[in-house]
Amino acid sequence: MAEREPAYTVASDSETTGEEKSSPLPEIAIGIDIGTSQCSVAVWNGSEVELLKNKRNQKLMKSFVTFKDEAPSGGVTSQFSHEHEMLFGDTIFNMKRLIGRVDTDPVVHASKNLPFLVQTLDIGVRPFIAALVNNVWRSTTPEEVLAMFLVELRLMTETHLKRPIRNVVLTVPVSFSRFQLTRLERACAMAGLHVLRLMPEPTAVALLYGQQQQKASQETMGSGSEKIALIFNMGAGYCDVAVTATAGGVSQIKALAGSTIGGEDLLQNMMRHLLPDSENIFKRHGVEEIKSMALLRVATQDAIHQLSTQSSVQVDVDLGNSLKICKVVDRAEFEEVNKEVFEKCESLIIQCLHDAKVEVGDINDNLVTNLCKITEVYKGINPLEGAVCGAAMEGAVASGISDPFGNLDLLTIQATPLAIGIRADGNKFVPVIPRNTTMPARKDLLFTTIHDNQTEALILVYEGEGKKAEENHLLGYFKIMGIPAAPKGVPEISVCMDIDAANVLRVLTGVVMPGSRITVVPVMEVRMPMVDDGHGWCAEALNRTHGATMDLVTLKKA
Amino acid sequence: MRCYGLTIPGSDHRFITPTLPPPSLSFRPTTIPMTRISFGSSFPKLRATFNDGVVAEERSFYDLLGIPESGSLMDIKSAYKQLARKYHPDVSPPDRVEEYTKRFIQVQEAYETLSDPSRRIMYDRDMARGIHLAFNARKCYNHSDQVSEQKGEWKSRWQSQLDGLKRRSDSKVMDGAENTSWAARIRQQRGGL
Repeated sequence: MAEREPAYTVASDSETTGEEKSSPLPEIAIGIDIGTSQCSVAVWNGSEVELLKNKRNQKLMKSFVTFKDEAPSGGVTSQFSHEHEMLFGDTIFNMKRLIGRVDTDPVVHASKNLPFLVQTLDIGVRPFIAALVNNVWRSTTPEEVLAMFLVELRLMTETHLKRPIRNVVLTVPVSFSRFQLTRLERACAMAGLHVLRLMPEPTAVALLYGQQQQKASQETMGSGSEKIALIFNMGAGYCDVAVTATAGGVSQIKALAGSTIGGEDLLQNMMRHLLPDSENIFKRHGVEEIKSMALLRVATQDAIHQLSTQSSVQVDVDLGNSLKICKVVDRAEFEEVNKEVFEKCESLIIQCLHDAKVEVGDINDNLVTNLCKITEVYKGINPLEGAVCGAAMEGAVASGISDPFGNLDLLTIQATPLAIGIRADGNKFVPVIPRNTTMPARKDLLFTTIHDNQTEALILVYEGEGKKAEENHLLGYFKIMGIPAAPKGVPEISVCMDIDAANVLRVLTGVVMPGSRITVVPVMEVRMPMVDDGHGWCAEALNRTHGATMDLVTLKKA
Repeated sequence: MRCYGLTIPGSDHRFITPTLPPPSLSFRPTTIPMTRISFGSSFPKLRATFNDGVVAEERSFYDLLGIPESGSLMDIKSAYKQLARKYHPDVSPPDRVEEYTKRFIQVQEAYETLSDPSRRIMYDRDMARGIHLAFNARKCYNHSDQVSEQKGEWKSRWQSQLDGLKRRSDSKVMDGAENTSWAARIRQQRGGL
């Protein structure tokens, strides 16, 4: 652990760097679960995990930052007297859905229906995000908003624990790309926090489950046989699934699957159902439209909540501007308009079980967190607190804390949630490290040239699940130069990918000619991700530039 | 973009690399075409990786996990979990993280191979032939071996089916054309043409 990454420092937040450098006692990292809609903090207090509360005695705090006053304030310290107030355009929320996404991303497009401004130009750059304050659209970024929120969380925790906080374990959605993870780390750095670990949400739950199983087997002096659990986690912004095998405190993540579907989709589908032309009506984002949108959103939210206990609900709302909705909605309709979302959930579970090579009958426990209805569910974990408690436990384990009762004798063996590979064979994405590879990992694959006397090769590193290169997230690119002149297919280009103990990804390449074992050019070692913002833009530019200069580069005769 | 294009050797029939022998059962690991580059050559830090790999080549997966070759799946699993608790970077001593990470990757590979019954059979067979494979090389070799294995199996099955069909159609021809299937009649007609 001593070889951890140095603290991520951003030039602009110098006031947070350089603070308390030496602390003799191991500092316990806190666990933070930043949800799309709610957020919580927990810490190992020496004997157990404790959830922290804010001044209003809340364990779950709404994830938002409002710009309506002189100084922006977030959901940790401020609270709206009514739900509507969050929806007047001056408050930014759903940051976790927007962070690290470009304006060609469907999730960003769906966010245009939110009351604050999300502007897209559809060329693969970051979207323009702004809050409406006194009739002025003031620009901001998801990272900035998240950082403001995290500062509040940090202050709250520091007040509570009476010590400065630096290290955190953050839970993240399974489907987050490494590029998005760096954005999250940047937001933390801006808030003066160092990310010790990023844990996919269901793996944090898996850790907690592993601990409970170990405890149970110790108490019953059981054999501690292997238990397999399916963890399903659906929040407002993301849906994640994991299969874990746990025995003796060791939880092995067998497979992960995740998608950007969540409660927000259920809500938006339902809003569209109640007011089919809502997107066009609210497009202008004027003050009046925002007000109508807020009313519709709250009415829809209420209706969905009521539908979870009753079979039908009367929606009666006056949106102003002579827009009135008076409709009876039943549960069947709700299920119908959200059919795709539920089907996607199902396919994620199937995919995860398939990847883990597990049959439904093998599963000992089903863990469901956040919203869902399933018949047989493991009762040992509070659905809304599982992830943050797991993160807090990991924080204690990763900080090197030991517990005399063996409560922290835990290990989670993580797996890669997404495949990492390069663009090859035309426009295909060829994984070098497949999805669900145990981490740390080191894998390599051989490639070759497609032209005679090709002296250069462009390595485009992608992460994702798409078959075509552009369906994945671009992590970086570089060029191998000095390939000896040879007929096509002769030079062997070895691409090695290494994920080390600190989850840092490095790509190494070398070129070998047949009959030799020594690379003829210096090895390239490139740390990923290296792209800064978005990929649509940059991949297209690479295509345009190098597609045209191909003769210059490759047909050079030796 | 074509100028920069890459292909996987052997993945495209137009570009069969001369170093990749056609998949066959006589594929000898001593002639592994997948040249492993020592990425350590230019990086002192990474040289250790390569050296570790060389050492590990001489140790079998069973040795790595510390179990006998007759070990059961349960033995493999529990040995793996025990070693993971020792070598996983989350729990290893801070000053040995790098070394232990390499160990962990080796243990992981041993576990993945031996806990999969079909891969274990193949590994045992290779061991019996006195073949030890370098780490990482295993996967490529395994893959082509598996493919050729499947091909060989498929070919022999196909051959026997063909033989059976041929015998049946021959006998049917002798029996007379009345009982033959439509396809067989067509075949006979085609043959006659």
